[in-house]
Amino acid sequence: MTVHTPRILTDAETSLIEAFAAADLPGSDAVATARNAAIDALETLGLPTRRIEAFHYTDLRALLGTGRTVSQRPSAQAALERTDSYQRLVNAIRLPIMDGHYFADIADDLPDGISVMPSFAAGGFGKCENTAANAVEVINTAFVTDGVSIDVEAGTQIVTPIGLANTFAGATGGMAVTRNTMKVGEGAEIGVIDRYVGPDETDYLSSNIMDLELCDGANVSYVLSIEDGDAAQRLARLNVRLGKETKLNLFILNVGGRLVRQEINFDVWGEGCSLNISGVNLIGGDAHIDVTSQITHHVAGTNATETFRNVATGRGKGVFQGQINVRQAAQLTDARMACNTLLLSDDCDFSAKPELEIFADDVQCAHGATVTDLEESYMFYLMARGISETRARRLLIKGFVAEIVEELEDEVLVEALEDRIEAWMEKHV
Amino acid sequence: MLEIKNLHVRIEEDGTEIIRGLNLSVKAGEVAAIMGPNGSGKSTLSYVLSGKEDYEITEGSITYNGQDLLDMDVSERAAAGVFLAFQYPVEIPGVPTMTFLKEAMNAQRKQRGEDELTTPDFIKKVRAAAADLKIDFNMLKRPVNVGFSGGEKKRAEILQMSLLQPQLCVLDETDSGLDIDALKVVSDGVNLLRSPDRAVIVITHYQRLLEHIVPDTVHVLSKGQIIKSGDKSLALELEEKGYAELIDAAA
Repeated sequence: MTVHTPRILTDAETSLIEAFAAADLPGSDAVATARNAAIDALETLGLPTRRIEAFHYTDLRALLGTGRTVSQRPSAQAALERTDSYQRLVNAIRLPIMDGHYFADIADDLPDGISVMPSFAAGGFGKCENTAANAVEVINTAFVTDGVSIDVEAGTQIVTPIGLANTFAGATGGMAVTRNTMKVGEGAEIGVIDRYVGPDETDYLSSNIMDLELCDGANVSYVLSIEDGDAAQRLARLNVRLGKETKLNLFILNVGGRLVRQEINFDVWGEGCSLNISGVNLIGGDAHIDVTSQITHHVAGTNATETFRNVATGRGKGVFQGQINVRQAAQLTDARMACNTLLLSDDCDFSAKPELEIFADDVQCAHGATVTDLEESYMFYLMARGISETRARRLLIKGFVAEIVEELEDEVLVEALEDRIEAWMEKHV
Repeated sequence: MLEIKNLHVRIEEDGTEIIRGLNLSVKAGEVAAIMGPNGSGKSTLSYVLSGKEDYEITEGSITYNGQDLLDMDVSERAAAGVFLAFQYPVEIPGVPTMTFLKEAMNAQRKQRGEDELTTPDFIKKVRAAAADLKIDFNMLKRPVNVGFSGGEKKRAEILQMSLLQPQLCVLDETDSGLDIDALKVVSDGVNLLRSPDRAVIVITHYQRLLEHIVPDTVHVLSKGQIIKSGDKSLALELEEKGYAELIDAAA
């Protein structure tokens, strides 16, 4: 007979369980059952410890905050005011999501071929595997309050991207938890700007899961711009399923948040799929930014490139985990992964971990990581032309990340993202 | 304008003394050539003037326009008008040349309390200076010095010099790696900048450059000291007899 001593809950776990008990959450009986199962799992298994491989560099038990309450839906008046003062990144078909609640009535008009529904109205979510390693989904499942379900009809071609405008303006301790789905029909072409914005000095938890499906021949440019406030915490996942002859360009910018765990999972199910992931992670102050990626090639003849440029300073800690799985059937896979980091202070650090699991014998998989400080000879040259040390550092940092940002073809978008990068540098460099 | 007194410099890392009691005075309007064999301390002198960190000044002083130059950091010296044309200009990937030029010009203007340049004014100035130096304007859209040939890099150095209008120009072996035509273009660029309120220090191995940029004074550097000074005829004498004879005579 085995006797289990009850586990002592951490403060963060207790806080989540109490927030769940106090919350009035939407959904059918099936949703309620899934929520209860998730919160039970959280109580029994707890948040992941560092012994769980996927969370080795991100100790949620120590990092996740307390004092949580699910944020209420802002009033119609407050929502309207927030929409008016919202600073767009670029022009987009804006779907406002505020403190975790979608406001359909003030969303921009949708062009033909696109329909959007609140995600609860659109039906259930996939079954959640209640394990500690799956903490992001477990927490999201327990607390999800709203979200959008986007459907792009086959053959639709839209120049203006869809803008998921996630803003937070709720009280300290708030939780904004959303679940989105997006299905891009056969041969459709569209852009997405998925953006998270919130004020500094407010400790809130933002959680989002996006399930994105690209049907055969679809072509999607997706920008995930995380601009949360400097005390915010984020637990999020982007799941992408890619069909035949699909093309996905994903760009991730991390310029906000005290704690970010962003998981990105790709299942490449269609031959001729081309997946290009790039990103810039700027980690300053006390931020802990973790991007954990998993790409699984299930079929033959697909390619994926993944390039991240990271800048860490202050006491910032960065993590990049990049897993590439090549299944036995996935011959002729071409997968490349690069992670380049600038470490600018003595107290910052960055952990980069590639993992390759390859079962096919005729593939090309490459990975590389570099870590450096700013090149002294560059600094000397710039300063020898009268540029101050600070300005010289900023020029070089911008140069380092701009190489990645500028691969995006949309000049307006590049400029907007570079403005965000400049703003981060003003604060941290 | 520049007064170097009893300067002693060693390499910070290993303590090797390179400059050993150097004295040099350069007046406004003067073009001074510094010649010397390999290892005499020519490049070290140029780095020390521009403020590179790898050197330790153990003795002596450098006064520039009445200010203690050694008290200023690299960018302060540059903003105050000291310009080093690099022997090996650095390639900086990711930083567009135009951005760099604008940043450098505005840094100087800020130091002088002037407004930043407007973009049209800036482009106009760069276009004019580039045309003088036969630099293809499209080249300046590339990152700093990236993909430039040796000659293009040197011309780009002179372009920067003409845009920044420094008071004290230090040319560190600007002739190295240049073909005859490029040498002429670069020299013409430097000659255009000669003026009564600007001083130029030309550091070189060879007399050849001094045919194009005719110096007012010539100083011979050996083992970290100026062992002989004279006018332009000294350069011709060196070309004829070589350094060895002169160094032996000084020893």
